[in-house]
Amino acid sequence: MGGDMNLAIIEKEGLHLFVAELLRRKNTVVGVKDQSAVSSIPGDSGFYTYAPINSPEELTLSFDVTLIPPKKYLLPAYEQLLTFNLSPGSIKADAPKEELIVFGVHPYDIIAINQMDKVFSTVPQDNHYLERRKRTTIIGVDPVKIAPRAFWSSMGADTVAGGFDLMLTDIGQCYVMEVGSKKGASLLKMAPKTREAAPAEVKERDKVRTEARKRCDANRLSFSYLELPSLLDGKEEHVIWEEKSHLCFSCGTCNLVCPTCYCFDVRDDVSIDLKKGSRYRTWDGCLLSDFAQVAGGGNFRGHRADRYRHRFYRKGQFIYRRFGDIACVGCGRCSAQCPSDIADPIAVFNRLKEGI
Amino acid sequence: MSKPRVAIFDFAGCEGDQLQIVNLEEGVLDVLGQVEIVTWREAMKEQSDHYDIALVEGSITRKGDEERIKAIREKAKILVAIGACATIGGINCIKNFQDEKFVRRYVYGDKAHWYNTYAARPVSAVVPVDANVHGCPINREEFVQVLKALLQGKKPFIPDYPVCVDCKKAGNVCVLLKGQFCMGPVTRAGCGACCITEGAYCWGCRGLVDDPNMDAARELLGRFGISAGEALGQIRLYDGYGEEAR
Repeated sequence: MGGDMNLAIIEKEGLHLFVAELLRRKNTVVGVKDQSAVSSIPGDSGFYTYAPINSPEELTLSFDVTLIPPKKYLLPAYEQLLTFNLSPGSIKADAPKEELIVFGVHPYDIIAINQMDKVFSTVPQDNHYLERRKRTTIIGVDPVKIAPRAFWSSMGADTVAGGFDLMLTDIGQCYVMEVGSKKGASLLKMAPKTREAAPAEVKERDKVRTEARKRCDANRLSFSYLELPSLLDGKEEHVIWEEKSHLCFSCGTCNLVCPTCYCFDVRDDVSIDLKKGSRYRTWDGCLLSDFAQVAGGGNFRGHRADRYRHRFYRKGQFIYRRFGDIACVGCGRCSAQCPSDIADPIAVFNRLKEGI
Repeated sequence: MSKPRVAIFDFAGCEGDQLQIVNLEEGVLDVLGQVEIVTWREAMKEQSDHYDIALVEGSITRKGDEERIKAIREKAKILVAIGACATIGGINCIKNFQDEKFVRRYVYGDKAHWYNTYAARPVSAVVPVDANVHGCPINREEFVQVLKALLQGKKPFIPDYPVCVDCKKAGNVCVLLKGQFCMGPVTRAGCGACCITEGAYCWGCRGLVDDPNMDAARELLGRFGISAGEALGQIRLYDGYGEEAR
């Protein structure tokens, strides 16, 4: 008990009590729920979503993938940035104040958050994002169920070294809990029924992870994801962009459900008496037809194929050149949710590799 | 500066959009603080021929409507079409695909000869329209947004992307993922995906986006075993005047 445990064991019953304790201390905890429990629509059962929980029983840790990634808590779909008065003129920035514990984040989504941290802390830094990030505790969990379209094992996203406060792995009777930060260490002290993990239990964790990775290999990139930036070189005129985008609705689903897509639009909302107002931002996406439209009506990517290609270059090359990251973590959300099923990065990248 | 004078008119429609304005409740008072409503048959008895902004509900279905909307257009500095009937033709256009005489007899019985109607059409088919507030019915918040933009002298923001965007922001399960049909991928957003959020699918009441991918839509419908004829019927439900429905 106690001490400086880096790898702890928590019994399943203990985890239950841990969540109850977090709630008792008036923490706002969000976790994964079955969508039908949130939407009240029976047909929504079997899909997962992050939502606030009020009791440990509401929490699911054995989900495959959520519809929308946890980015919705760090970069909300709509976020007020500032309020203003027009006469006399004044501006007041909004400061996010909510403390949040996100309980149950898969490694690929933590990697995506780590990427966003990098993007938003680069000058000019995004204070709204960073403030939310600072106030968000991330409790990771290793996947036990693999989403049908997931391919994170191909993207180096089966495990993550940092970015979480605690990381849980279900090894059968109990969880291995890894401490990833000081915040995580103090949380662990709050958890009942913990002890230091024995070497055999740590080994068991490796086994569980290897086993999950193997199952995820059902969808695979046929080469190392680190080759993506060079693979995309000179493929701008490849027939695949026209061919696939022929069925693109320009609906932006692939962007909006992506854990690494962070683009937003900024708009002002003025009160009806035109005396005051607010500025807010909302998710945008490079697949939407007006994304690259500028004043005067010109559009840098007016054709579906241009927008479709842009996304793959962004995932595999542009973000890499700027930040050093491959901006696809293999969650498979775009593949699963694209209405025309043309968004699957595996299908596109493997074909480019084949050279046909 | 005096308040802008607003007149509200109705043509062929159910007046549901005007009802949405009434349904703003205390919001109506905020609106009334900024504009002077000088004509509104549904809510007041006074009327005036002097107005700056005309809000027009309903589609044009008669020769007489045409003269009336042209006169309104001449008087108004800004003309806004509100609701699907006015913006895209709406459900009135279903009759455009049926026999005119039969339809008139069906509705007006032995008095059919009193009514000289023609193919229903949106307001923009007859006179230039400055802004559209889409939907059946209109979204109250969007109506206020458009009005505020006009009062500021700004171009109102009317989305030109599919309902899927609103749906993702609302955190809904895609209806297509559940194996059901949906018009969302080709329908103009701005409604907040209210129907899907409530467990239904998108019927396309806001009309198609400017550049709908109809090839993709046909392919998608095929996957759900929906014939081209059925799909056409779904488009004609609201957007019968549009190019894709003909």
